[in-house]
Amino acid sequence: MNLFFCFAGVLTGTLVGVLPGLGPVAAMSLLLPTTFHITPVSAVIMLAGIYYGAMYGGSTTSILVNIPGEAASVVTCLDGYKMARQGRAGPALGISAFGSFIAGTLSIVGLMFIAPPLAAMALKFGPPEYFSLMIMGLTVLTFLASGPMWKALLMAAFGLFLGCMGMDNMTASYRFTFNILELSDGVGLVPVVMGLFGISEVMLNVEQSMERSIFKAKIEHLLPTVKDWAASLGPIVRGTVLGFFLGVLPGGGAVISSFVSYAVEKRISKHPEKFGSGMIEGVAGPEAANNAATGGAFIPLLSLGIPANAVMALLLGAFIIHGVQPGPMLVKEHPQLFWGAVTSMYMGNVMLLVLNLPLIGLWVRILKVPYPILFPLILLFCLIGCYSLNNSITEVLLMVLFGLIGYAFKKFQYEAAPLVLALVLGPMMENSLRQALLMSAGSPIIFFERPISAILMGTAIFLLVFPLIPKFRQKRPALGE
Amino acid sequence: MNNDQLSGTVWFILGLAVCLGSLQYKLGTPASPGTGFMPFLSGLAICFFSGIGLIHSTLRRRQGEGWAPVLQGVFWKNAMIILVSLLVYALLLVPLGFVFTTTLFIAFLLRAIVPQRWSVVIACSILTAAASYLIFEVWLKAQLPKGLLGI
Repeated sequence: MNLFFCFAGVLTGTLVGVLPGLGPVAAMSLLLPTTFHITPVSAVIMLAGIYYGAMYGGSTTSILVNIPGEAASVVTCLDGYKMARQGRAGPALGISAFGSFIAGTLSIVGLMFIAPPLAAMALKFGPPEYFSLMIMGLTVLTFLASGPMWKALLMAAFGLFLGCMGMDNMTASYRFTFNILELSDGVGLVPVVMGLFGISEVMLNVEQSMERSIFKAKIEHLLPTVKDWAASLGPIVRGTVLGFFLGVLPGGGAVISSFVSYAVEKRISKHPEKFGSGMIEGVAGPEAANNAATGGAFIPLLSLGIPANAVMALLLGAFIIHGVQPGPMLVKEHPQLFWGAVTSMYMGNVMLLVLNLPLIGLWVRILKVPYPILFPLILLFCLIGCYSLNNSITEVLLMVLFGLIGYAFKKFQYEAAPLVLALVLGPMMENSLRQALLMSAGSPIIFFERPISAILMGTAIFLLVFPLIPKFRQKRPALGE
Repeated sequence: MNNDQLSGTVWFILGLAVCLGSLQYKLGTPASPGTGFMPFLSGLAICFFSGIGLIHSTLRRRQGEGWAPVLQGVFWKNAMIILVSLLVYALLLVPLGFVFTTTLFIAFLLRAIVPQRWSVVIACSILTAAASYLIFEVWLKAQLPKGLLGI
């Protein structure tokens, strides 16, 4: 049965990744209510399958149509599409699929070996360490955001405020509920995420002309040549390592991993000037990185109960809904869930390789569904998904409100990811902060007295101060340069 | 005024509102933080970062960065149509029921944004409503509203 849910998850994830306008976060939000009737293990397997399935699927549209299926495949457009224009769509799609498979498999091995000992170490974490870790995670995410850092920090602060709405866990008082019953439990993650990512994305897309061109060249020779493999092996290995460790860091993730991998490959290449004109390294590295990041991102979630990025935040929400508390005790108390999820990832990677290669023809046909017909379906799924959570029209209206807010954010160039991470981390951060201050009788020095907390807090402060140093202050170069 | 000056001002006012709103809950002391402690901190942070943004954007304004129109050259009315249709859907869902409201919703969007042929509109709206009813109501038991027509 779990194999079925694994397959359903990776198939849905691939479809989501192929279709522009709906990312893995929105897809997981949409399908979260459907997991209420299945076991926690099956639910996690399916939702995880969507995540790494979307990483696979996003490259298909990037290469064929120059439209990233989801954010982590943006970089693949740069060289992947150019390869397709040169009649090399086959090797591009093929190396993307194989590179993703290799990276995904290796990251699962890393997850198996690192997560249990990290869980043991996490027992030494107290409230100051948890608070510092979450601060560092938020800071890393804001540091790596594409716009000005003040905007990302502002979004994180707003997310923290949203996380405060509802009942205070320590005193059971209600805050900022505006006499709305549904806000007693706080602002729901699903309406916020669906609004910010799903609804707002559709609103932006319908503002543009909705004609899309599909590259008409025949796709053949799916298997890369020996020369392609020779050029891609290094980027795949480097992308795997980069993606895995960036995925582990709170604040890292698939998007950042793919960008960093591309930048690294371009920097160390003997022909950096050719990047952007169809270099296979520009496809192999980022695609490996974004898939490796999926495995790495599970480590802080499963070992510490701390989501590394917005997708993991949603998965954390799913765990809690199913009555499972991720953290150091997860491996001990729910070993079937941990090892079930890990085993399913192996199977999922094999399924994805099988899906992505032979079914490319099918994905291209789905792409041919005109967007004017596709977007009403996307909106409908958002509406049903949000309503079915608690049968609440108020939550649907909340989703629409956040759709408008997300639209405004995009117009004024504010990224939503820090807000989502802060929204999920906010309640945990508040608890940790208040407990730490109670422990220290109000002295903030406690965060610097304890070694682990001091290192984490020091890293966060360094990342905040680093961009201000004139020597190191430089405009982030556009990726095409 | 440029875009960031406007957004920064809005954020600053929001941050102030959050801080003032937090005062109605007890802030407590650093040794014993109260209910309003964290919201107050977040409101302060919003004010602080928006203040940095205002300074940053004012400097850029002086360097010549002006207002960049956000609605120019795009079909922004389409986005507003989407928004209004979502609101109407939410308001009609319970009184009219899922099937009927969904059919109307899909049909409206297929005509309103990029008008499709009526045959496509009718077929897609009915098929979508039926398929989603079967998947969510019958298979997944999502308990969607029945409305006046009982379906």
